[in-house]
Amino acid sequence: MSKEIKQIAIYGKGGIGKSTTSSNISAALAKLGYKVMQVGCDPKSDSTNTLRGGTYIPTVLDTLRAKGKVTADEIIFTGAGGVYCVEAGGPAPGVGCAGRGIITAVEQLKQLRVFENLDIDIVLYDVLGDVVCGGFAVPIREGIAKHVFTVTSSDFMAIYAANNLFAGIKKYSSTGGALLGGIIANSINAPYSRAIVDDFAARTQTQIVEYVPRSVTVTQAELQGKTVIEAAPDSAQAQVYLELAEKIAKHTDSKTPNPMSVEELHQWAGSWAEKLLKIETGEVAPKDGI
Amino acid sequence: MTSILDEPLPPLVSALERPRWSCALGGALAAVGALPRTIPVMHAGPGCASNFTWMQNGSGGLATGGYCSGLAMPGSNLQDSEVVFGGHERLGEELANAIKIMDGDLYFVLTGCVPEVIGDDVDAVVAEYANDGKPVVFASTAGFKGNSYFGYEQVLKTLFKSVVEKGAPKQNDLVNVWGVPPTQDVFWRGNLQGVARLLQLLGFRANYFFGSGADLDLIKKSAGARLNIVLSDLYGIEAAELFKELHGVDFISTPLPFGAAATEKFLRTVGAALKVSGEAVEKIIDAEGRRHYEYLEGLLEVFNDMEAQRYAIVIGDANYAFATADFLAEDLGFLPDLIAVTDDLTAEKREILLTKRSARVAGRYGEKSQVVFIADGAHLTEAVDDTWRAESWKKYHPAKRPAIVVGSSLDRGLAAALGAAHLTVAFPVSNRAVLNRGYTGYDGGLTLAEDVISSFIAAR
Repeated sequence: MSKEIKQIAIYGKGGIGKSTTSSNISAALAKLGYKVMQVGCDPKSDSTNTLRGGTYIPTVLDTLRAKGKVTADEIIFTGAGGVYCVEAGGPAPGVGCAGRGIITAVEQLKQLRVFENLDIDIVLYDVLGDVVCGGFAVPIREGIAKHVFTVTSSDFMAIYAANNLFAGIKKYSSTGGALLGGIIANSINAPYSRAIVDDFAARTQTQIVEYVPRSVTVTQAELQGKTVIEAAPDSAQAQVYLELAEKIAKHTDSKTPNPMSVEELHQWAGSWAEKLLKIETGEVAPKDGI
Repeated sequence: MTSILDEPLPPLVSALERPRWSCALGGALAAVGALPRTIPVMHAGPGCASNFTWMQNGSGGLATGGYCSGLAMPGSNLQDSEVVFGGHERLGEELANAIKIMDGDLYFVLTGCVPEVIGDDVDAVVAEYANDGKPVVFASTAGFKGNSYFGYEQVLKTLFKSVVEKGAPKQNDLVNVWGVPPTQDVFWRGNLQGVARLLQLLGFRANYFFGSGADLDLIKKSAGARLNIVLSDLYGIEAAELFKELHGVDFISTPLPFGAAATEKFLRTVGAALKVSGEAVEKIIDAEGRRHYEYLEGLLEVFNDMEAQRYAIVIGDANYAFATADFLAEDLGFLPDLIAVTDDLTAEKREILLTKRSARVAGRYGEKSQVVFIADGAHLTEAVDDTWRAESWKKYHPAKRPAIVVGSSLDRGLAAALGAAHLTVAFPVSNRAVLNRGYTGYDGGLTLAEDVISSFIAAR
């Protein structure tokens, strides 16, 4: 019997650091000895850039469009540390249907049986911003990915997107869809940032998998077109990603999250606004405020 | 692995069986296919065209042929790739080739569901050609936006906005006529031409847009018409309002004039609106009526012998249900006890019909005909039961059953169950080949009388 391939999906608001986090997790997993594939599910097609020296690779949909059918070697490219890189691709902004594109690309990967043929251990789907339509929910339904991790900062809009995602997961949870592995808290430096995401995790009955601090090492590595694992393997930031990768590799039990209603979310955000204001005005000490 | 089939089905609150129409694209395609020298260009996924050809046109009196209609029309045939990347390039390519290859004076793009869901900017593609001097226009006709009647109305609106020229010179003898949706009205050709002949009697030329005898140049100049006549209480009314707004031509709405009685009313109403002297109108009515009844006389003894004052059930759309019931009641002396209107209508539109059309005394015991609105064909038999069987417990229940069901091909079973004759006039009509047959005017009335009486003796 073939081994079970661990398929996980990374979601989160656009610009929050999903691709950076995904690529570093992929690179770290490869370093830990796993055979990894990262599938970028975003029409921008830049998910795997830092695994490929800052370059773009031909996408599944572009190749399919040009040739009518695709073969595995036309769409799978090897990146740093041996990570297999795939970009789903999609239409130019403002035309066509990107959601349908994701569906088509994922279908192609299934049909080509690339995970089995390459003996992949772990597949990471790096999915665009919000779950705006059915197409972007494909990696988390139909039994494709089993675990979802969401990248969020403590910014309200990022948490709003995460909460939306939780609603999507909950919707598909009873029909074999992916469940939530937890939150990857990104750009967490200020004490209150940590407190906010902790509180959000508690409210939605999930967990924080890792706190990833904002670091100039990440910026430096990205400017070189590399992951932190490749550019600064001995840095503290690389250590954070390695620990995160280790946790993800060992992760087994995901759960159905309990998203807040829009009203609850606004009330919750409002209560945090008051707390932050009190800290700023010195009414309470930072450590008491949180 | 789960699939959509594993998900619980939503409650069937809006399910509708045996609808008597197609989708917006179907209605629009029937209209565009009927426009003179016009090439339809379908921007849709695969399957729509063949579906309309066999299902819709086949049910429209077997009207499956025609230049560039049916299976031979240009279409973008959108595939997965166009869905993902947008279908505008494919449309541009199809349009360029259609203009190159197909011999037409107007290229009419119609959209199906797929490009409307993915948000193709069809206006931009069409504008590119239009700016280049090519005669290309576009109507948005996604099936999810409405049914055939909506599609017909969309085509009219596009014509009035993009084809009818503004400020055309006035032509005092010209009137525009519409309100008869091609194919959805299976006898549309004959009906339009029948009305054109009536207008000719009044001294006017009719521009009727669709079918043999319609003329694209006349359509372009139609803003110079004296009056617009909408042969419907509902279909084409919005378009008429748009025409008035854009080109300043007023309109009147009048029912389809089937037979002598309705035609007399039509001539008087339209004559008055066009300021034809009452005396002249009466002269026409007298002369035409004389000719008409000379013909009808031929069936007189048969009529008496058959005791042909029969109960009837009439089933049809807003145009046909009342026009046919009126004919049966006023020209043949039948009793159309039950009139079932099969459109999917808002309460407001039902009210318009009830106010304008239900004053007739034609039911049992001198009561008015009963009018029911039943879009769901499956519930028609219930309405019949309510009308007829509810009284069967009475000692002196009506001894006569309805002798004829005048409706569509979908009503064959109902007629058989009642032991009644069956005549198909309303869409779908899949048991008759229809070419130039029409029921409007005096001559149309003779044709309809022939059809009604023939249905009683079909088994001889």
